[in-house]
Amino acid sequence: MTVPPAGDLALLQGTLDVLVLKALVFGPRHGYAVATWIRETSGQTLNVEDRALYVALHRLEDRGWVESEWGLSENNRKAKYYQLSARGRAQLRAETTRWTQYAEAVFKVLRAAS
Amino acid sequence: MRLGSGIRRLLRQPATVRAVEREVDDELRFHIETRIDVLVSRGLTRQAAEAQARSEFGDLRAAHAEIAAIDRSRVDRERRADWWEALMQDVRFATRALLGRPSFVVTAALTLGLGIGANAAIFSVVDAVLLKPLPYADPDRLVSVWPDGALMLGTFVQVRDGTHTLDPIAGYAGGAAVSMTGASEPARLVQSEVTSRFFDALGVHAEVGRTFLAGEDQPGRDRVAVLGHALWQQRFGGDRNVIGRSIVVDGIPRTVVGVMPSNFRFPSPAIDFWVPVSFDASRANIGKYWGMSHLNVIGRLRGGVSIAQAQGEMAILIDRSRSSFPWRMPDAWGTGVTVVPLERKVVGDVGPMLMVLFGSVAVVLLIACVNVANLLLGRAAAREREIAIRASLGAGRGRIVRQLLTESVMLGLVGGVLGLVVAAAGVRGLLLLIPPGMPRVTEVAIDMRVLAFTMIAALATGLAFGLAPALRASRPTLQAVFGATRSAGGTLARRRLSELLVVGQIALGVVLVAGAGLMIKSFWRLHQVALGFRPEQVLAADIPIPAFPSDSIVRSRLFFERVIEQARGIPGVRSAAVASVLPFGGASSMQSSFATDIEANPVAPGGAVPMLVRTVVSDDYFRTMGIPVLRGRALNVADRDSAPPVALVDELTARRLWPNADPIGQRFRAVWVKPWITVVGVVGTVKRDSLNSAGEVSVYLPTGINAGFNFPTQMTLVVRAEGDAAMLTSRLRAAVASVDASVPLKAIRPLGELVSNSAARARFTMLLLATFAAVALTLGTVGVYGVVAYAVTRRTREIGVRMALGARASDVLAMVLREGGTLTGIGVALGVAGALATSRVLAGFLFGVTPTDASVFVSVPAVLGIVALGACIIPARRAARVDPVTALRSD
Repeated sequence: MTVPPAGDLALLQGTLDVLVLKALVFGPRHGYAVATWIRETSGQTLNVEDRALYVALHRLEDRGWVESEWGLSENNRKAKYYQLSARGRAQLRAETTRWTQYAEAVFKVLRAAS
Repeated sequence: MRLGSGIRRLLRQPATVRAVEREVDDELRFHIETRIDVLVSRGLTRQAAEAQARSEFGDLRAAHAEIAAIDRSRVDRERRADWWEALMQDVRFATRALLGRPSFVVTAALTLGLGIGANAAIFSVVDAVLLKPLPYADPDRLVSVWPDGALMLGTFVQVRDGTHTLDPIAGYAGGAAVSMTGASEPARLVQSEVTSRFFDALGVHAEVGRTFLAGEDQPGRDRVAVLGHALWQQRFGGDRNVIGRSIVVDGIPRTVVGVMPSNFRFPSPAIDFWVPVSFDASRANIGKYWGMSHLNVIGRLRGGVSIAQAQGEMAILIDRSRSSFPWRMPDAWGTGVTVVPLERKVVGDVGPMLMVLFGSVAVVLLIACVNVANLLLGRAAAREREIAIRASLGAGRGRIVRQLLTESVMLGLVGGVLGLVVAAAGVRGLLLLIPPGMPRVTEVAIDMRVLAFTMIAALATGLAFGLAPALRASRPTLQAVFGATRSAGGTLARRRLSELLVVGQIALGVVLVAGAGLMIKSFWRLHQVALGFRPEQVLAADIPIPAFPSDSIVRSRLFFERVIEQARGIPGVRSAAVASVLPFGGASSMQSSFATDIEANPVAPGGAVPMLVRTVVSDDYFRTMGIPVLRGRALNVADRDSAPPVALVDELTARRLWPNADPIGQRFRAVWVKPWITVVGVVGTVKRDSLNSAGEVSVYLPTGINAGFNFPTQMTLVVRAEGDAAMLTSRLRAAVASVDASVPLKAIRPLGELVSNSAARARFTMLLLATFAAVALTLGTVGVYGVVAYAVTRRTREIGVRMALGARASDVLAMVLREGGTLTGIGVALGVAGALATSRVLAGFLFGVTPTDASVFVSVPAVLGIVALGACIIPARRAARVDPVTALRSD
């Protein structure tokens, strides 16, 4: 069995949304920062495609889970900042619980000794 | 950056599609440039960094499209939600505001309901008659050939066989009264003779059985009939086994082959059933084939053929057929052949009349709108403060106008709902009044189209009467907020506006009342027309000839002689007679007109042949009808059988045919027969077809003599009573039955009723216009009263000051009347100008009155002026009674 190279791990369906929500939990961020944060926090394991990331951001905004506003970036450029709405925060909590349970369950099965 | 979402929504700029595109651009550019910065800081050249950033991102354009699509749908949704939310807010607010003033709402809604309802009712008629497509397959391709003329059977056959533009082409004769026997008791019914492809041309199918087959208009195959739905229900109980049964029509047995659906009523709703016309070109039938029998022609344009092409071809084919006639046709015959859409032939000439009514009823609605607008203006004064407060809290003018318009549109919609109730009742009333002969009346109903019209009218009305007051009221007046409750400026401008509205209202009222006045005078003139006979105390009953086997002329004559004898014997009958056609009897004179040779004035070959209208009468006809014999003698019992043929002519005919000679002793004959007919007397001219038509050139032939014509298939019995004619009807029925019980008798009607029916359309137009004018006058008066009364109330203080300074009550009275009078004067003057400019559209409906009739144009403004001034008197007297002390203390 070959192990896929780091940074090229395919994301499971729906995973990207919860990662983006998590990325915004620390305060407003623009798209580039979200991408960088996810890549670095996952230890370069999860390499999110840029286009998919922006589609996810806009879809989340469409659902009312994040809100956007234009502001100035650290390099003094006009950037679009996203932040969690109250509903987004609730959604993140629910998704986190679900993911944790799911991952633990899968882990238990995979580690089963007999 | 941490604003609550509600306020953020309020502050957000209205998003547009272009803004969405731009924002997506900006966002992606920021991403790329930040990445470039990072790469450059790692030591790449700017160029290399840019290339790498772009390749890392992938397809930028596709990403842009996908993201923008998500944003666009979100923005759309949010805008719709915002709009809806604002609307609901306006509606809630308007409902509260309206519920707070129930009496205002009731007044306004009733006024609008009447106006909208009357419009919807008239629209339902206009729509059914003029706007709805004909209920046949592909009606745009259906045409009428020569709508003002008709083709002889021989000509039709040649045209049918020669045409390349129309397929199918068909002919039909209007209704003819016939007797049906055989199935059950004898009945008098109306049949239409049609050619075999008549139903195919219209694209209609039988409900039961079939329509006619090609070739069923040939002698020998023509003994078939197709029943109308109503006849099938009434006489055959809706039995589907009626197909194949035999009926006897005027003695001819026919087999029923089909039944038409209930909505098929062509060429008129009076038709009970259809039979094939018989193309019998034999010698014995030559007078009918080339002369006496006519077909109206319809056809369906072939694909790609224009009306003009069809018309060109028809003109050629009809002209070519003239060489086949057994006699020489006048050169002028067939020169005016036209082809028009069938719809125009069906609708006929009622279009202009309906449009005048529609226009008038729209004016009534306009006047109603003005009244409600004035009510709103009055209210606006009371709401000045509320509006100013809203404005000072930041509501824009547009927002306030929208709020006020929501209120007026809601009022309009309430009026629209009331209007539907009014329209339902109105349509029922209209159908009772509608003159006989109005096309497509059976299609008049309150349907989805009328509903849609009513709702659109209600919305438009709401906007119309609401807009001016809303714009007026939304104009910012700061005094209103701070202290001064009676700000002079706003009130003055508002008064000017409402005065303007009242002037317009009076002017419109004058236009309508003047139109109604013209119609009333015209109608009165119609009733003054000298008929030439005395219809009072005369009863008329159509009597068909009984179905006799052969020798019918002699036996028919005998039958009618016995009927007359029986009728004369009834106590209370002064005299009795029969005639083939009665004045105002509804039969078109074309059916009984014939081409004539005048002995004294032979026609040059190809010249115009005089056409005479013949009436076959029994000898006592003139005494019974009260028609004077002016010269010579009346007919008498000796004018029969082998006696030399004689006739009477009326004065008009005598003057036309023999202008410089003594008509007595002159001779004429039908072009296709030998014996000359001698004129033995001259009688008074009578109005034949309608009150406003010129007389036809007519001759009276005695029933007793065969001068080469077929005996009429029906005669009308007329009796003059000594006293009350209505008492005689049952005795008359018994008298006819005693001669032949199998003869069906339709209604027995007073002759006067036939005469007044001929003025039915004039009466209909006059009644409706008069009603509209009365409503307009009432609304206008209420409008003037309202505005003057309101002005007096607002100026109580000023009047008090004047009186305190020495003005007498009569001065105040005069002042108010003068102001009301000025408004009225301007309105009336404008109205007269408007009426003079528009009354020309009535010219076609007026009889004996010019559209600028002096008496109407003097009396109408006078009446309106007096009524409007009268409306000012009540508030003026109230003003004169103002007590200066109370007035000054008020406020």
